[in-house]
Amino acid sequence: MALSNFSILDSRQVEDLADYRDQLNDWLDAHEDDLAPTYEPPGTLDDHIARMQRVKSILFEAGWMRFGWPERVGGWGGSAMLRTELGAILSERDLVDPGHFSLLEVLAPTLIDFAAPELAAGVVPRLLSGAEMWCQGFSEPNTGSDLASLSCRAVPEGDPESAATWVIDGQKVWTSLAQFSERCVLLTRTGPADSRHRGITAFFVDMNTPGITVKPLEMINGVREFAEVFFDEVVVPADRMLGPLNGGWGVAMSILPYERSSCFWQRIAYLYKRLERLVQAAPKDDRSAEVVGEIALQLHALRSRSRATQHRLAAGETLGAETSIEKVLLSTTEQALYDAVRKLLPGVVELDDDLAAEAWRTEYLYSRASTIYGGTIEVQRGIIARRLLDLGSDH
Amino acid sequence: MIDAAERALLEESVRTAFARASGGEGGSIDSALAELGWLDLLRDEPSDAVAVVFRELGATNTTATALDDVLSAALGRAPCADAAILLPALGSAALPGRRTGDRLRATGFGTARADSAAELIVASDAAGGPTLSVVPMAAARVEPVGGLDPAGQLRVVTVDVATAETKPLVPEAWESALALGRRAIAYEIAGACRAMLELAQKHALERVQFGQPIARFQAVRTRLADALVAVEALDAALVTAALEPGAATAALAKAAAGRTARTVSAQCQQVLAGIGFTTEHAFHRYLKRTMSREGLFGSADGIVLSWGRHLLETGAIPRLIEL
Repeated sequence: MALSNFSILDSRQVEDLADYRDQLNDWLDAHEDDLAPTYEPPGTLDDHIARMQRVKSILFEAGWMRFGWPERVGGWGGSAMLRTELGAILSERDLVDPGHFSLLEVLAPTLIDFAAPELAAGVVPRLLSGAEMWCQGFSEPNTGSDLASLSCRAVPEGDPESAATWVIDGQKVWTSLAQFSERCVLLTRTGPADSRHRGITAFFVDMNTPGITVKPLEMINGVREFAEVFFDEVVVPADRMLGPLNGGWGVAMSILPYERSSCFWQRIAYLYKRLERLVQAAPKDDRSAEVVGEIALQLHALRSRSRATQHRLAAGETLGAETSIEKVLLSTTEQALYDAVRKLLPGVVELDDDLAAEAWRTEYLYSRASTIYGGTIEVQRGIIARRLLDLGSDH
Repeated sequence: MIDAAERALLEESVRTAFARASGGEGGSIDSALAELGWLDLLRDEPSDAVAVVFRELGATNTTATALDDVLSAALGRAPCADAAILLPALGSAALPGRRTGDRLRATGFGTARADSAAELIVASDAAGGPTLSVVPMAAARVEPVGGLDPAGQLRVVTVDVATAETKPLVPEAWESALALGRRAIAYEIAGACRAMLELAQKHALERVQFGQPIARFQAVRTRLADALVAVEALDAALVTAALEPGAATAALAKAAAGRTARTVSAQCQQVLAGIGFTTEHAFHRYLKRTMSREGLFGSADGIVLSWGRHLLETGAIPRLIEL
């Protein structure tokens, strides 16, 4: 297939999305060797990130990474579902980790929607093509589910409206892959300490700016995916402000539709693959059948829900509190799947040391966080109670 | 399928007709459905017809014999008030009858139509493949199902006859009848689940304890939130079953209905507490209806087990729906 023959797909027709899927799968089959890992499995996090960047670079070159992104940032346009599908297929094929890959979906749209057009046009292609990694500096030690309480401070050098530079001081935590990142989408406090969501401003910060220190944190599964990031008198040009002054809450909230649509669909694709792996490894008896049947049922309902949400988004609807439903479904299904692994493969997660066991163990431990990150399940249930069931405030 | 505006209009007219019928203003739900043009709707738009009517049956805790029409049509026979359908026996998805030589033996459920119809349509397994027989109702034994939900209007129908008019039945016809039947019951359960949740939600906002509505307590909010998550998951599975009609999507929708009913009824009953434990409150009727429908066309446990066996056998998880 000649790459120059690619044309923008008309994503309004389902046949075209299916066609994209088919063509992509054929292409990936044909380029399996180019995309294969160059390290001895299981590899380190550094290996995984390097491979992801290589995969992105090959796919950008071939055009696949350009579908679904606006032309003004190096994309080829078309529905965002195209890039959702790409992430799902890459995750299913274990070419990328969905958690790492789908960071694209919570970073690139922020630049596209809130950065000056020249800035977005300059940097987004570098993210898409694997030339750069970016991270998201939102959470802080005292700011878990309550994001509006963040305190990392940005102070203008001069008048806030006309200052040429801002100085940032504070700390972020749970910043995924910060140690690999060239840039950071950072939320800072620019209003009074108690201004909550009204006094937050977003910046796009180069991670090599003097005053930034990154300390990776070892997670419960032994991987150093997260980091603490310290900001000590970090000077940032005012043209790196994303969105208006004190408009950072809107920037943060704008990510939700992407996180709750494409990121979820990619994670669901990955969970289907993991259940498939479990089905192949489990004893062929009725106890296994009951357990895997139950998980498959949950995954099916979740996939159905996620599909409907993406079609609503594509039809121009605004996503909101109702996506807390699939957040709860996703986190409980993910944990149920890995609970099933322990049940059907006794001792593997706990005691075995082969490659397969290593993967199950890492994933099992990681799955415990699914009811914590992205707003804990308690926060989600609170949103459902207040916003969807109209139960009023709880205090 | 019809578009969203037409669907809303249909829902509204079904709701009005049901309200009139159950308000004692005129006849049964069956006659209300007949006036609405249910059979034409079932012929032209079976998916929407089943969705809207069965959801409303569940929501209003009423009964009809519309299931006979749904299965008749799917089995290739023009639905008619004089012909009842033999539904599979408790927990079963198999053909309800067994033909050996010229003898037909069958046991299964029926709707209230079995009381008045002249004929009974029986799908059977036989050595030469599935068949469809028409048996005079007089040859069948019809007993009302009491149990915990007599108002659910089920019958146990037994047939043991020497001869009957029989035609071969293509296996796909039974599969599609079963799928539509499963979706119908799943919609009925979905309607009942949403009704239970609305009752519990209203109660939580009105019931005051310790000087505040119990809706303020996080433990109560969490229960109702989990109930809504289950209801929404079931609705999503039902949409998939309509978009990608087939044996698997219908089976999973029916299994999701069973699981959802269990979650929703447990959470809502706990929130309704004392009043939900009485027959003065409407909750018990919905609880009992979802329980008595669980075994129709295969229970959630049965479906999950057989789906799981299939997955283990093939080593793959079919995606069933794409973006």
